[in-house]
Amino acid sequence: MREANARVYRALCSVYLFFALCLTLSPATAAAEADYPSTLVEAGRALRLADERYWNILLHYKKSGSGRESLVDDPVFFLSPAGKTDPEAELEATISGLFQGPELGDDHPRCRFPARSAWLVEQLSIDASRLTPVVCAAYDESMRNITMRSAVLVFPAAHGNGPASMFGHTLIRIDSTVQSDLMSYAVNYAAKMEDDSGPVYIFKGLFGFYKGHYSILPYYEKVKEYSGIEHRDIWEYRLNLTEDEIRRMVMHIWELRQTYSDYYFFTENCSYNLLFLLEAARPSLDLTDPYRNRARFWVIPGDTIRTLTENNAVASVKYRPSLATGIAVRARALVADEQVLAVALAEGRMKPAEMGGRTSSPERTAPVLDLAAEVLQYRYSKKELDREVYLQRYLSVLRARSTIAETSKDLSAIAEPPTQPELGHRAARLAMGAGWRSTNERRWFADLSVRPAYHDLMDPDDGYVEGAQINFFDLGARYEPDKGSLTLQKMHIVDILSLAPRDRFFAPVSWKFSTGLDRVLMKDGSERLVFRVNPGGGAAYRFPGRGLIYALFESDVQLSNVYEDRMSLGVGPSVGLDVVPSGRWKSSIQAAALAYFLGETHRIVSGIFMQSWMIDANNVISLKAKREKTFRHYGTEAVLSWNWYF
Amino acid sequence: MRKMLMLVVVLVLSLTLTSSAFAYGSAGCGLGGIVIGNDPGWKQLVATFLNGAIFSNQVFGITTGTLGCGKPIWASNNDRLNQFVVANMDNLAKDIAMGKGETLDAFAELMEVPTAERAALYAKFQANFATIFPSENVVLADVVDNIVIVANN
Repeated sequence: MREANARVYRALCSVYLFFALCLTLSPATAAAEADYPSTLVEAGRALRLADERYWNILLHYKKSGSGRESLVDDPVFFLSPAGKTDPEAELEATISGLFQGPELGDDHPRCRFPARSAWLVEQLSIDASRLTPVVCAAYDESMRNITMRSAVLVFPAAHGNGPASMFGHTLIRIDSTVQSDLMSYAVNYAAKMEDDSGPVYIFKGLFGFYKGHYSILPYYEKVKEYSGIEHRDIWEYRLNLTEDEIRRMVMHIWELRQTYSDYYFFTENCSYNLLFLLEAARPSLDLTDPYRNRARFWVIPGDTIRTLTENNAVASVKYRPSLATGIAVRARALVADEQVLAVALAEGRMKPAEMGGRTSSPERTAPVLDLAAEVLQYRYSKKELDREVYLQRYLSVLRARSTIAETSKDLSAIAEPPTQPELGHRAARLAMGAGWRSTNERRWFADLSVRPAYHDLMDPDDGYVEGAQINFFDLGARYEPDKGSLTLQKMHIVDILSLAPRDRFFAPVSWKFSTGLDRVLMKDGSERLVFRVNPGGGAAYRFPGRGLIYALFESDVQLSNVYEDRMSLGVGPSVGLDVVPSGRWKSSIQAAALAYFLGETHRIVSGIFMQSWMIDANNVISLKAKREKTFRHYGTEAVLSWNWYF
Repeated sequence: MRKMLMLVVVLVLSLTLTSSAFAYGSAGCGLGGIVIGNDPGWKQLVATFLNGAIFSNQVFGITTGTLGCGKPIWASNNDRLNQFVVANMDNLAKDIAMGKGETLDAFAELMEVPTAERAALYAKFQANFATIFPSENVVLADVVDNIVIVANN
């Protein structure tokens, strides 16, 4: 009884207390609810959240003058009108935004910026029950369907014959529920370009006139594009991110999905922008700042792979050979007659039914048909075949192939991966050399040259595409102690030489394009800087062993005040042979004869002999000897250099 | 004047040469479905801003049905599988003829074929290649129907 009374008493007490609390608290609570956002804004200010690293990662803030500025340029990315340049204002606007009315639905700040919201809720210990319930239908639906299995940084390597690809590209792949990599999601950041001509394109690209967007595609679309059409091998770097880290990255991708940033080819490019996604996943990775703080302002996709390796973020590497690589690999397993057979099938000169007994053994029939099918795919991708012709031949080859019950070898099993790109030499080069030159006078000299990027024929090939030279802003100065003179020798704005070997299967055009300043011999025997544009085209073939032999037809325009009509235009052939006698030694010999027939008329005949010896990936000793005849003057020089890649 | 003209011609030629060296094709769909544009390659750096995939609902949702039960999963509105087949038709045909391959594996997974049953199914597909791809004019719906017929035989 006593106990019962006590219980009743306690119950009454509770009821009383409950009402009392309600009565006393309800007006106060309403006030507190209204004040809650401002209390949080105060708290955020006190905690200096706007200075926190993660806030700056999510908003892409970087130091700019005395303040900070976001690299994202789309106003939609910010809730505060001052958001781009004011991290505090954006933080406060976001905190207030969390409490906006539920009627906004998918447009609610919490739906648009889930990563920011989640971080603020955590940092400010926001009471979830005091947030207005909001339904983010689109976001929830998407996230519900994604299992974060792994994240992969994908690097389609350079494609030898196309300069737009020579630096490579990077994208991120999110592996979800489906085990097949092909069904993963590829997150790509790229510039949206208009229909501009070459020079306009270059100008706009350099100065940020294009808008960069993030896009998400099925990975098979990217594999088709890189492997099947552009014929670039793909490197896949699986990152050691945890499921939570990948989730954070995907939340941030959601925030970026409909925004743009001004795209700069060399700095704020595809590779740089992806680094923010990785920082959002794992803030302890310091990836974006080092690129801005160092003297070198440009970002080369291959460098970002190196950055990730150095930060121990890479778990494993996978090589995905392109269609063209696959053809070369399949061909290597066959004898010459069988290769010819495959080409005959692809060219329709022979029907699969006529193949009987023509291979060295019956087991070789299937590999020949496999090769023929891929050669057809290759030629079709190169527009060398009409769709109807291609399909008719392709299907007849496949039909014949399907009658042989054996399964083909996995390409990835037979294709030996080349050196991983990040293990090759670094892109910037500093060369110091000493040499001797003889023209009308003889003298010793010391050379110093700097090349910010990227790869020269005489640089070590490991990790790079054989025969693909692309030098940017190669700057060289010469000091001659006898004269005490320091002169600019060269300033090559761009210097591309693309030697793509032709064979039974491929018939690419090799070409060059070089422009910039060069010091050349003049009529009076003096040496002066001229501005030149030097394009050319021709063919290259493999040289037995390891090497390339090539011939080009070149034209050369030189501009100088000293020339008659201030210019000299010449054309003529050039030939070269590059060999790699051993893994560490490269040797090259080149000759050219150009006749200048317009403006200042003269001839230049030259021969160059080069050797380079690789000490390690980033140190090379090179020797260059050159002899030339210009006007009636002979120039002979030899220089021994040490090349350091950094 | 003539000299300047020549100079201009050479410069234009060199630029043309350079931009043609930039040229790639672009990806398309279906058997032989590589649409090759004449756009210079740098424009191909533009990825179509496709906001589907990861953040759209339709592409998900392979829920029930395995071939083993004799129930073709095509009955469901399976956009994701269809998109995949349309986009990878050439490689799928090649893998079927060769008896294996990554595209065929992805296809089998999307069809929810248990791993243990795949080798047998691939052999069946290979043996019936001519039934699945009767002509070069075959359309997606036919390929899909033919595959289902072969698989259920």
